[in-house]
Amino acid sequence: MNQYTLKITAHDRPTVLERLLQVSRYRGFVVTGITALPNARTQLLDINLMVNGVQPIDYLTKQLDKLIDISDVSIDNSLLMRSSA
Amino acid sequence: MATEQAQTGASLLFNVLEHHGVQHVFGYPGGAIMPIYDALCDSKIKHFLCRHEQGAAFSAVGYARAANKVGVCFATSGPGATNLITGLADAMADSIPVVAITGQVPTAVMGSDAFQEIDIFGLSLACTKHSFQVRDVNQLEQVLHQAFAIALDGRQGPVLVDIPKDIQLAAVTQGLVALAEVNPGEQQRQEKAAQQDISAAQALLAEAKRPVLYVGGGVGMADAVAQLRSFMAITDLPSVATLKGLGAIDPQNPHYLGMLGMHGTKAANLAVQQCDLLIAVGARFDDRVTGKLDLFAANAKVIHFDIDRAEINKLRSVEVALLGDLKQNLAATAMPLNIDAWRTQCRQMRQEMSWQYDHPGDSIFAPAVLKQLSDTRPKNSVITTDVGQHQMWSAQHILFDDPKDFLTSGSMGTMGFGLPAGIGAQISRPQDTVIVVSGDGSFMMNVQELSTIKRFGLPVKIVLIDNNKLGMVRQWQDLFFDGRLSETDLSDNPDFVMLANAFNIKAKMITQKTEVAAALNEMLTHQGPYLLQVKIDAADNVWPLVPPNTGNDQMMEG
Repeated sequence: MNQYTLKITAHDRPTVLERLLQVSRYRGFVVTGITALPNARTQLLDINLMVNGVQPIDYLTKQLDKLIDISDVSIDNSLLMRSSA
Repeated sequence: MATEQAQTGASLLFNVLEHHGVQHVFGYPGGAIMPIYDALCDSKIKHFLCRHEQGAAFSAVGYARAANKVGVCFATSGPGATNLITGLADAMADSIPVVAITGQVPTAVMGSDAFQEIDIFGLSLACTKHSFQVRDVNQLEQVLHQAFAIALDGRQGPVLVDIPKDIQLAAVTQGLVALAEVNPGEQQRQEKAAQQDISAAQALLAEAKRPVLYVGGGVGMADAVAQLRSFMAITDLPSVATLKGLGAIDPQNPHYLGMLGMHGTKAANLAVQQCDLLIAVGARFDDRVTGKLDLFAANAKVIHFDIDRAEINKLRSVEVALLGDLKQNLAATAMPLNIDAWRTQCRQMRQEMSWQYDHPGDSIFAPAVLKQLSDTRPKNSVITTDVGQHQMWSAQHILFDDPKDFLTSGSMGTMGFGLPAGIGAQISRPQDTVIVVSGDGSFMMNVQELSTIKRFGLPVKIVLIDNNKLGMVRQWQDLFFDGRLSETDLSDNPDFVMLANAFNIKAKMITQKTEVAAALNEMLTHQGPYLLQVKIDAADNVWPLVPPNTGNDQMMEG
């Protein structure tokens, strides 16, 4: 199991978190933490998603990238390092 | 869109559907969608009443697949909406553009366990490309435009729009986009792959000694059949197709080896297992194609053409990925290849391993019937199938020259698909002959749609391959479960001829191989709908068969 933190920017729609969690679970990742806060400047939702999984992380990020309401997904190495420190 | 008279959500729905070129919808009314059905009375759109919402969803899928356009279906809230789910799952799995409109209970009672209330939005998450729930009538138009755009963009798929009853009734007051400014069917332009990737692919092609082209359903959906054939004319690559790829390759192409995978031809599977370069085009290394993944084309490098980035390296690592516009990428990559020895070897395999239609005794041999159907059906016929032995025999023995002519539930393997998909295809292509090849198990799963055929006088032909069994499961029980037959006997089937007659459908049963030619001719020349029940030996199996978790060169051949 590897732990990853994803930094996700999404349109702030009531259903986006549900989709994010559904895809993460279906693709075999366990969500170990999540923060989601509206960004007043961008009007978007800034999400930090912490997941555990056996598969390579791009197996999940590519699927999340396809979600219509998600505009950006990146792997946050700084948070990863901090959490393992 | 400025109109003199305020319109309701329901009437706006039809304006937008018409603007997107929708002429036909499939559906079933109910309480929470009544304002939409009321507005239907004033619309030019023709509605086809199906007899179950699952039938409506599959008809929308068949309609879409037969002509590469969007299929639309309607259902009411609660059970109406849940009955769409299997059809949406099928459309999702096979990447079919469908827009499903569901009625929902009024917003005031949503979330209160109201009568016929179900969280269809929540249910749709796993089986749609995207879904919407409209809470403000002024957002409805934009949502509907987005639904069409999303269904068609990139890798296609189903989109659900859930519209509460009060939103259907509400007057639209603001936020309307001028319809003329929305270009229906406009898809985001797909980019061509980077030149360095194309060059890398060409370098692999140039050095390959035994390359094989592996063609999937993406070619037809990208409308790139002509470009694929040009690519093949330049490369003269030995080629194989997936179930959904059938029809993309000209079946007369001398380098075509047939379908690969679990029930693929021996020549196709052996060529792929021996190849040193696999060129996957709009295909996704599904388990029914690869057999045991680690053993699939184990010595091959891979070039993967696809539109969906998430398919790259999902199951098989590739050397080169060519993402984006398939038409441009195929044209840019095509080059003559110096692989005569390999071509000769593949052609020999194709000749040595051709199908045999000899069959002892008087009983009917389904592969021979389907071969005869293939040879005698009118040009441009659409064949739909259900799921099971008859499906694999159809894939093996009917030759297709266009992927839009073979509609079968590939990824989801949904029994009950064939009849309603055939109805949708007939409405999509009224000038063409539509033939549903079904089995006695699958047929009963949406048999109520015979009523839709009757209601609209659709001249759909049905070839019912009848072994009184759930044949494919029976075959597996015989082969892999020590012959312990469990719940696969259907010897208490209804009288199918009488059943068809009850829906004013002419029908006939045949039991002897001497009857086949005349019966097929009678069916194909009959002006209206026709059901031909073909009794076959219950012990007949589909061969070859690659057992589960096995390499594709280890096929059983009966």
